[in-house]
Amino acid sequence: MFRKLFLSIRSIVMRNRLEGNLDRELRFHLEMETEKNIKRGLPREEARLEALRSFGSVEKVKDECRDESGVSFFDALWQDLRYGFRVLLKRPAFTLIALVVLALGIGANTAIFSVVYGVLLRPLPYDRGEDIVFARQQAPQAGITNLPFSVKELNDYREQNQSFQSLVEYHSMSFILYGRGEPKYVTTGVVSHNFFDVLGVKPLLGRTFLPEDEEKGAEAALVLSYKYWRESYGGDPNIVGEKLQMNDRPHIVIGVLPSIPQYPQENDVYMPTTACPIRSSQRVIENRNARMVNVFGRLRPGVSLDQARADFTLIAARFKEQHPESYPDSRGYGVGLMSLKEELTREARPTLLILLGTAGLVLLIACANVANLMLAHLMRRERELAIRAALGAGRRRLIRQLLTESALLATGGGILGILFAAGGLHLLVAFAARFTTRAAEIEIDASVLAFTLIISVLTGILFGLLPALAMKGSLTSSIREGGQTTAGHRRHRLRNSLLVSQVAVSFVLLIGAGLMVRSLLRLQQVEPGFDPAGVLTMSINLNWSKYNRPEQTRDFFTRLVRKVQESPGVSSAAVASTFPMDQIGINYGPFNRNIQIEGRLVGPSEPVTQADFRIASPDYFKTIKLPLIKGRYFTEADDEKSLRVALINQSMAKHQWMNEDPIGRKVSLDQGETWLTIVGIVGDVKQYGPDRESTDELYTPFAQTPGGRALLIRTSGDPMSLARQTQNAAYETDPEVAITDVRALEQVRDETLAAPRLMTTLLLLFAGLALTITTAGIAGVIALSVSQRTNEIGIRMAMGATPARVIWALTRQGLLLVTFGVAIGLGGALGLSHILRGLLFDVQPTDLITYTAVSFVLIVTAAVACFLPARKATAIDPIQALRAD
Amino acid sequence: MAKEKSDLLQGTLDMLILKTLALDAMHGWGIAQRIEQISDGVLNINQGSLYPALYRLEQQGWIESEWGSSDNNRQAKYYKLTRAGRKQLAQETQNWERISAAIAQILRAS
Repeated sequence: MFRKLFLSIRSIVMRNRLEGNLDRELRFHLEMETEKNIKRGLPREEARLEALRSFGSVEKVKDECRDESGVSFFDALWQDLRYGFRVLLKRPAFTLIALVVLALGIGANTAIFSVVYGVLLRPLPYDRGEDIVFARQQAPQAGITNLPFSVKELNDYREQNQSFQSLVEYHSMSFILYGRGEPKYVTTGVVSHNFFDVLGVKPLLGRTFLPEDEEKGAEAALVLSYKYWRESYGGDPNIVGEKLQMNDRPHIVIGVLPSIPQYPQENDVYMPTTACPIRSSQRVIENRNARMVNVFGRLRPGVSLDQARADFTLIAARFKEQHPESYPDSRGYGVGLMSLKEELTREARPTLLILLGTAGLVLLIACANVANLMLAHLMRRERELAIRAALGAGRRRLIRQLLTESALLATGGGILGILFAAGGLHLLVAFAARFTTRAAEIEIDASVLAFTLIISVLTGILFGLLPALAMKGSLTSSIREGGQTTAGHRRHRLRNSLLVSQVAVSFVLLIGAGLMVRSLLRLQQVEPGFDPAGVLTMSINLNWSKYNRPEQTRDFFTRLVRKVQESPGVSSAAVASTFPMDQIGINYGPFNRNIQIEGRLVGPSEPVTQADFRIASPDYFKTIKLPLIKGRYFTEADDEKSLRVALINQSMAKHQWMNEDPIGRKVSLDQGETWLTIVGIVGDVKQYGPDRESTDELYTPFAQTPGGRALLIRTSGDPMSLARQTQNAAYETDPEVAITDVRALEQVRDETLAAPRLMTTLLLLFAGLALTITTAGIAGVIALSVSQRTNEIGIRMAMGATPARVIWALTRQGLLLVTFGVAIGLGGALGLSHILRGLLFDVQPTDLITYTAVSFVLIVTAAVACFLPARKATAIDPIQALRAD
Repeated sequence: MAKEKSDLLQGTLDMLILKTLALDAMHGWGIAQRIEQISDGVLNINQGSLYPALYRLEQQGWIESEWGSSDNNRQAKYYKLTRAGRKQLAQETQNWERISAAIAQILRAS
């Protein structure tokens, strides 16, 4: 082996010399022979010709010598490549189909893998990101798994835990920032001073926070994100030291972050906890139940996650003992730790893995398809190959030739695939961003390219080797017997099993896509409980430091709503705490508040009554067409001076009063200090998206409980046409408001379906791809069968078979394979579809309708794919067919 | 030239070359002449086919080559047997004798 390699290399080095030597050697031979002939008495010219004659073709001999000597390895490779190119170029249709099929398969995998790699595999872009752990409090009895910490709790954990080097506090708020230009509503990370140090983030400009920035009374400091700095300050390097107005006090910019993905969320600016007016207020600091901050930290070296969990569990038990009032049994209390990476990717993981698996299956189908194409291609070239074999080409050489062709195809497919992937990647990034902030890290980098290279090579070997192995032996026999050989039958079997597996895998993919479609349809059919058509929504964010009394808020919105109502095109307008299906609400879940019901005592071990608390002005219900079930809506008369009232939704009426009439009953939100009289029951609303059950809801009138930020306007026309005039009305009422989320309510509702819709689209795309490739494969197999059985078909027709019988015979052959494939696919789908369960809404993974529909689609498509080439068979002229072989 | 000529059996050419070289180092033309002479012109060697065989044998390590002067003072490439080649020749000779004896026996029997 080594000797061979050595000789090969040596002969490349010495290649020119070898060529010269070969020439000299053969010339010597011919001269000697010529001289011998002259000695025998022939004239010189005759002697030379006689010498050449007895030698044979000099060029052929040289060729064979080159083949025999070590030059052949690399020479042959080059020859194979050139030959491969020629063969591929000579069959542009085959090459094009194979390239496209491979490019789609490899491209899909490259794109999905770049997402999987960026989100799930790539190490976090932080200093030893694997040591960073997120903490979560839980109230299991109340079904809450993600309870933030109160400042008191955080301080206790800080003091008592032995597992963390340090704990970091984080929460995000929105404030209005008055800097250069218009007032900007900025998302603000409110963090402890060690936030950036624990993450290991170094500033691009200036510095990050120091302990003294978080001291009480320190000057408010801001760190800007790279994106915000670029967009709002044009990347001005002199920004550090500038004072920006926020929350009625100056904030000094101390630094700018580098361009890195931010965790846990993207923020425009960061401030220390002491600069946040809410976080630094006494009622937050002193109240153990004011839970609003997230906590994460870096484990001490050598401390495992399990040790840290045990440590925290111990502290949690101590809390329960020392402050039973804050941790009622009815809610339960626990604390959980999760690595930052898991925390950031847990929502995305199942979806991405399903997509990767799907893409992998598509690639397998592509492989099987191209292998079949190659095989067909090979069967047509059988005689050529046999002749080459007869002329002395070794079987290994022929296999190498085939592998070279498949490698060329796979490489081409890989390159095209990367282009496909690069073109479609931004869609996937937008998709992934719905699940994880890591989406920002997705790119086609060296690792992704390496992955593509590897799958291209594996693909090439897979679809190249199968046909090559099928050629095993009996090449010579095909000359003698004209194709109808045992090897031919083996190849047919291989082709058939490749086809069956394509059908089976396609079936599985179609079932996956079908189930997702069914689920999406179900989601779309969900009655949201309101009518989003014709409604415009926007968030009006007040400079809250100026609105510190409820009357001011009430006054602002009362004036604004009145002004908007008088505008042309507006049929009704209202203010509310939020609007249905608001993304913030979806992210954070119901705003549940404890409720006392008059005359009803709740034991200490019973669950506390809770309801999602909402504020609405009288026209809110009319504006979103939320139906009244019983009693009355709020009216203008329900103001601050009149009786305190409330509305409840149907669910709450059912859960709390069963068969009794809740109207006239009293509830309290403040442990019985004030009582609200229930005046009506309204319909349930899918507040948090169509896939979530409606919770118990309680509405209070805006005039009695001023608060909220959502402005809703109903119009008979296009809601967006009112956007500008409404915003102007808001600015006229108070120029310092910041307006966000200006959108049609229909668009808001559509947004809630964006993720399942995109997932469905992707799965449909993959399944469609698989079906197309497979259908083409079926048609190809039948077409080849027709061309190979010309003889037999001719005989049958000569014997009087009708065209219909011939077509049926051929179609049946294809359908038999397809049915077989569907049967296998059925087993596979039943085994695999439960993986999708988490993504399905109101559809069983074994949904009969989906299975029936998919089988039907697949078999009908396959029947057409069989019929079209089979029909050509009837055009065969029996006489010509019989002469064909 | 009226003599009947026999085609060379596949693989026998290699053996004949090895046998020829077992006596002495020789160039290609010389090998061709010698085989023809010794077989008394019965074996019909296509002279051209000798060279690929030589290259093959060299690649297999049974013979090696070097340039030297021929009798008439011309540069010629001389081949000589290696130790591996000698072993190979012994083996092939043995094989050949066994097979030809067997064939001869069969032919006699009928």
